[in-house]
Amino acid sequence: MTDKYNDFTLQELMAVAAAREIKDGEKVIIGTGLPLLGAFLAQKTHAPNMMAIYESGAIDCKPMVTPFSVADAVLVPGAAMQGGLIEGLGIVHNGELDVGFLGGAQIDKYGNLNAHVIGDYYKPEVRFAGSGGSNDIGSGCKRTIVMMLHQKKRFPEKVDFVTTPGYLGGGRQREKMGFPGGGPSVVVSTLGILRFHRDTKEMYLESYHPGVTIEQIKANTGWDLLVADNVKETERPSSELIRILREELDPTGVFLKKK
Amino acid sequence: MNMSKIMTAKEAVSKFIADGMTIAIGSFFHTIAYDITHEIIRQGKKHLTICAPSFNEHADQMIGAGCIDRIESSYVWMEVFGPLYCFRRAMEKGIPHKIEMEDYTNFTMMARLLAGALGLPYVPVNSMKGSDMMKYSSWKGENKVKLLKDPFGSGIEHALVPALKPDIGYIHAQRSDEEGNFQMWGILGDAPFSMRACKQVIVSVEEIVSRDVIGRDPNRTVLPGYKVAAVVESPFGSHPKNCQGYYGVDRDFISKYIQESRTEEGWKKFMDEWVYGVEDRTEYLKKYIDTFGMKKFMSLKAKDMSSGSVNYGF
Repeated sequence: MTDKYNDFTLQELMAVAAAREIKDGEKVIIGTGLPLLGAFLAQKTHAPNMMAIYESGAIDCKPMVTPFSVADAVLVPGAAMQGGLIEGLGIVHNGELDVGFLGGAQIDKYGNLNAHVIGDYYKPEVRFAGSGGSNDIGSGCKRTIVMMLHQKKRFPEKVDFVTTPGYLGGGRQREKMGFPGGGPSVVVSTLGILRFHRDTKEMYLESYHPGVTIEQIKANTGWDLLVADNVKETERPSSELIRILREELDPTGVFLKKK
Repeated sequence: MNMSKIMTAKEAVSKFIADGMTIAIGSFFHTIAYDITHEIIRQGKKHLTICAPSFNEHADQMIGAGCIDRIESSYVWMEVFGPLYCFRRAMEKGIPHKIEMEDYTNFTMMARLLAGALGLPYVPVNSMKGSDMMKYSSWKGENKVKLLKDPFGSGIEHALVPALKPDIGYIHAQRSDEEGNFQMWGILGDAPFSMRACKQVIVSVEEIVSRDVIGRDPNRTVLPGYKVAAVVESPFGSHPKNCQGYYGVDRDFISKYIQESRTEEGWKKFMDEWVYGVEDRTEYLKKYIDTFGMKKFMSLKAKDMSSGSVNYGF
């Protein structure tokens, strides 16, 4: 059978993997790019009652076209409520949201994220944007989904700067801090899918993307990465999901850059 | 009281913004007052501290122009469009001069402004603890943030962040009357609290309307006019950002800025053309239409999606 949606790109695979993490009826705070496509893909498929929230204060959005930004004007018409940051992030801060999406320049063994600097804080080699809502989302959401470019320098054993705590030094360290939120549940990287050990909170490899080897992932990780006993290939997206992504969510190829 | 505060951006900036002030620049990716920002740059204001939960290219332009010494914020970037190069050059290489940033989070900046607006000295938050933002401070030292165990017995420690009370704030909005009772809709961003926290406010608006128009829908008013020092009439004053119901975001123009500002020379050329080389917003718009054409300009205009009105009767 020839099906033009049988083929998929890495970005599409990641968007589908993110979508699978969302359950129906959950309240989700969404960023831009792949998280946005992943969340709206979930809403169009298995999670029709997902509530989409943006930190800009747009709550229960039903945008007519895919938004380009967390503050896109298309989020406003049709939203259940439109406020500002205090409304959008206030419910995050109060621990009311189920899922938040995060990213960053670096992630470490215990899921701590860096969005501030590479190098010394006062004399940075590279200065990034800063937290924005990242620390608030990481502190407040019941769980977070982290999407990362998987490279050795981006997966160090310890991040240069903790912008958003994951499990801090592991074990019960996060729990003792008394955050409303529970921490990262998954890392969807460009090479595989990683989760955190139930007790030690150390990151481990759950699955490798099609065409990627475990050795390749270990070589691109800055510590001796644990691998699940039942490690497997990441589930391939169905052609129907790829069709929805391409034709309904990103018809102009803004996010899923067309080759 | 019927006292007109209408003036030009040039008058408002020269009258109310002084070197060394702490300024809140209101809004979030929407209704950002580029008209006032450009006027501050043209008038060469210096040693400013700017504060807002998040900043985009407007801050970058002020940094490149040497207006800024300090930033209190959580974010200086332009989302999917990419990094802001003047910010990076200043933070990494001290070009045109070294700037300092006091890093908070989006929500904690809001909490600080909320405290400022309500006259609270500080506010406890769930964010920030456990992060390196607790350990590193640029100039506030121990007064950036403190940890306090809940005195009501939950056993949990919270970060306490200090109130923020800027000398002045400025923002773009859809409409205002001549007394400065201004109204916004769409994404409110850091408004209303960012502006309520300020000692006084400059507002630039798409339209000046009568007090009667404001009074017919008073729930939409962000700030009562008594805190407003100046009202500037400035159609497309938020370009290249959007203004709900008036015009959409100009992604091409934002990309153009980011591309050209990758080098200092490119940045200077952009600024000479679009900021230093124009007298005011009217000239800027004329230049925009001359450069990109009326068709492109008209394509930015918003569709009509008017809401139904509500009955305020009693």
